[in-house]
Amino acid sequence: MFKNYIKIAFRNLWKNKGYGLLNISGLAIGIACAGLIFLWVEDEFTYNHYFENRDNLFKVKDCQTYDGTTYTFDATPGPFAQGIKSEIPGIQNAARTTWGNSVLFSLNDKPIYEQGLYVDAAFLSMFQLQFVQGNAQNAFNQLNSLVITETMASKFFGTDKSRDNLIGKTLKVDNKENYTISGVIKDLPKNVSFRFNWLSPFKIYKDQNKWLQKWGNNGVVTYVEKDPGANIETINKKLYNYVEGKQKGATAKMSIYPMNRWRMYDSFDNGKEIPGRIRYVNLFSLIAWIILIIACINFMNLTTARSEQRAKEVGVRKVLGAGKRKLIGQFIGESIFTSMVATFFALIIIYISLPAFNSLVEKQLVLNISEPSHIAALVILTFICGMIAGSYPAFYLSSFKPVSVLKGIKFVPSGNAGIIRKGLVVLQFAISIILIIATIIIYEQISYVKNRDLGYNKSNLVFMYLQGNIKEHFEVIKNDLQSTGFVQNSALSNDPVLQMGSNTGDFVWEGKDPSKQVLITVEGVSPEYASTMRMQLEAGRDFYPEGKIDSTNVIINESLSMIINKKNILGSTISQGDTKYTIVGILKDFVYNNMYGPAAPLVLFSNKSNCNVLSIRLKDGVQIPAALSAMETLMKKDNPGYPFDYNFIDQQFDQLFKTETLIGKLAGIFSILAIFISSLGLFGLAAYTAERRTKEIGIRKVLGAGLASLTYLISIDFLQLVFLACILAFPVAWWIMHNWLYDFEYRIQMSWWIFVAAGLLAIFIALVTVSFQAIRAAVANPVKSLRTE
Amino acid sequence: MIQLKGIFKWVNSGGNRVFLLKDINLTIKEGEFISIMGPSGSGKSTLLNVVGMLDDFNEGEYNFIGQPVHQLKEKHRAQLYKSHIGFVFQAYHLIDELTVYENIETPLLYQNVKSSERQAIVADILDRFNIVGKKDLFPAQLSGGQQQLVGVARALVAKPKLILADEPTGNLNTKQGTEIMELFKQLNEEDGVTIIQATHSEKNAAYGSKIINLLDGRVEK
Repeated sequence: MFKNYIKIAFRNLWKNKGYGLLNISGLAIGIACAGLIFLWVEDEFTYNHYFENRDNLFKVKDCQTYDGTTYTFDATPGPFAQGIKSEIPGIQNAARTTWGNSVLFSLNDKPIYEQGLYVDAAFLSMFQLQFVQGNAQNAFNQLNSLVITETMASKFFGTDKSRDNLIGKTLKVDNKENYTISGVIKDLPKNVSFRFNWLSPFKIYKDQNKWLQKWGNNGVVTYVEKDPGANIETINKKLYNYVEGKQKGATAKMSIYPMNRWRMYDSFDNGKEIPGRIRYVNLFSLIAWIILIIACINFMNLTTARSEQRAKEVGVRKVLGAGKRKLIGQFIGESIFTSMVATFFALIIIYISLPAFNSLVEKQLVLNISEPSHIAALVILTFICGMIAGSYPAFYLSSFKPVSVLKGIKFVPSGNAGIIRKGLVVLQFAISIILIIATIIIYEQISYVKNRDLGYNKSNLVFMYLQGNIKEHFEVIKNDLQSTGFVQNSALSNDPVLQMGSNTGDFVWEGKDPSKQVLITVEGVSPEYASTMRMQLEAGRDFYPEGKIDSTNVIINESLSMIINKKNILGSTISQGDTKYTIVGILKDFVYNNMYGPAAPLVLFSNKSNCNVLSIRLKDGVQIPAALSAMETLMKKDNPGYPFDYNFIDQQFDQLFKTETLIGKLAGIFSILAIFISSLGLFGLAAYTAERRTKEIGIRKVLGAGLASLTYLISIDFLQLVFLACILAFPVAWWIMHNWLYDFEYRIQMSWWIFVAAGLLAIFIALVTVSFQAIRAAVANPVKSLRTE
Repeated sequence: MIQLKGIFKWVNSGGNRVFLLKDINLTIKEGEFISIMGPSGSGKSTLLNVVGMLDDFNEGEYNFIGQPVHQLKEKHRAQLYKSHIGFVFQAYHLIDELTVYENIETPLLYQNVKSSERQAIVADILDRFNIVGKKDLFPAQLSGGQQQLVGVARALVAKPKLILADEPTGNLNTKQGTEIMELFKQLNEEDGVTIIQATHSEKNAAYGSKIINLLDGRVEK
């Protein structure tokens, strides 16, 4: 029986190649699209699955409340990990790590910057790192020991045999001390939360940063491994006031946060966990299903439209004894067969497009067709498509009454089928139009934020992290840079302007409500900072070039001056603890940290001691490559032994919109595919309509109708549908995008032209698709078409 | 075998009731060969469809081998005709996508006959109709007479008690028509299959053991 179905399905496809091609290509593109998205979704959902112990691994979260608003950080005090491990039951292991350090390693005269972490020894075993050489127990026995990944090992020692025993070899760190390699580990896969090429004992970092010893300073990340049986709630209850118990007045409320949620959530609004990446994962899963459904709709429409040709077969089969159920089985079987063929082509499409897709989403997805879960997914996908696509045609076709078909009465499709078909076309186009509108709005929003007046000039601005003795020789380097002729100015600061890390709630001033803490960003800079960044002074003065004079003076931003809100702010003082600072200048607000929000209150100190970043302002209109090479030469001379490792602020700025840009690109691709698949269906339907109305067109032509009026006759029915789709799509698109934009404080207003443009585009595409068939029917020789009847 | 009592069938067209069948009373015994004659539109096909349970009637009683068809549900009726009636059509109505062999095999598939048994039955019938050499051809590759031969073979394959033939020779030339009629006669006489045929042709009607004349949905006495 089944063999019989397959045979019929195959012969039917073969007999109607054009129609089969439309069906299969639409479905194949749909399945390929869904397949790619599901690969991406799978990768997201298996994030951190590399760590088999992940159910028991946690990160410590730190909640602090200022003025009624709770902020959630990853930062914890230095002694915290050791404390909770010994004092809180249920915690098996705890390890501190730094945030990520770019460190210069050199072997002989080969210096390379490598990203890594200073970690407690427990880290190695908690995360079950796979040692190729050495082992987790002994790796950190010595202070200056170093565990490196195989990638880093190959960079320094090559890939030949000599690499096989690296234990005991040394690498020079920061052109000073030698670290001894005590272990080589396998590289971690890309889809884990950690990025490092080397690990070294945390003690090294701790010894350099004594402030970490205090319970009041939150500066390291703490990871926790709990006992498999321990209850998270119980641990969290004990952690809540743990820090306060160590130091009175400390505001940090700690809790542990499971590794399984790091990737998909890890966003907090006022202390409450909110969906993070999961929103996009869900959104794209939804889009995958929608594209599949659009493709399935094509199948339904083309099949029911062609039902006339199948009607006789249905009638005969019924007379020969086929029950309704068997016929339904046959037609669904046929559509599953078609869907299988489509899946085969979809696999080819996926295989071909995967590299491009990978570079777009910056992942290393592999098709891996031998994986059981992938096979299962493919089979399920094929069957779902076959079922969805075949269900309606199956019920529709199998409901024919044999007698009316066989009597030789010309079969008239019932009105219902026509309406359902039209409804499905409207649905397809409505979805396509919504996707087009979404794409346009996402791009508008991204470019709106990117072109926002930041309050400083981000182009031609280079920054680099301080290495070697740049800070000590800053004045010399600054002058040398300027004398190259390419550089206008340069300055030091604690952090890059896009991410200013430190903030405090400790500042007070006269007239401040003592019950409220105001969270203020603090940033130490060299005196040239504001002028190098091209920030504008609202009032007062910039720091004097000789920084020492200004050691107790500060510059604040407009936001803070609004909060202080009193006359004669210039000259007034704010104090932190016992230290008083005089406000000498007010800067116009500039955007930092949050690209969408207003600038948060800020205090700039003229203090280089914690500076970590050198910003270099190039002159307008200079040749960038020439400037860079001049700077490199100079840096090699003034800061020998360190490679010139720089970044452009505007490039870093673009990086901040990576997620949004990706979503914009994906939405664009999917909307193009959606409208393409919809058009394929429309093309088929138009061809079918033209065929059915051949006689009518012939008669009209004989009666004197011209090409234009005939084209109109055929096209108008379809254009009405697309028009209706627009009317349905607009409010839905408005609502969806309104909600999306709502998350951004700095956002565009949706303008009406976006909707009109999307609608016109859809109508235009439909018109081109349909009129091709309409014109073909209209120019046909009427004598021929009339003779066929 | 077949008893029709006061069968009426009508359609409503505009405000008028148009009768397709009017007060049909018929008794047909097993082994008979009936020819139904009448001009176009006289209700021949409708009567055949009613007898074949493909079409409903509005009034009257119909008993088929002791079963009251007018009281049966759709499903049981289908079951009944599936196992007892074979149909032959003027336009052959073979399935274009299936070969001769597969066309003949189809009724057996729907009666869930086992594969090996199916092969034997179909081979038998191909042999009997002398179309073994054509079994892998598609309907479009056959002449009209050959197609109708396949149609009859297909109608017979499930060993029905009754064959309903609606103008079986209508699309054939005289020679092909005669062959089909000879075949019917043979089936009727040798195998005892009951046959009801609708026909225009006096000559073909004469093959039957009894002729019923229809006019405007009524049996002419």
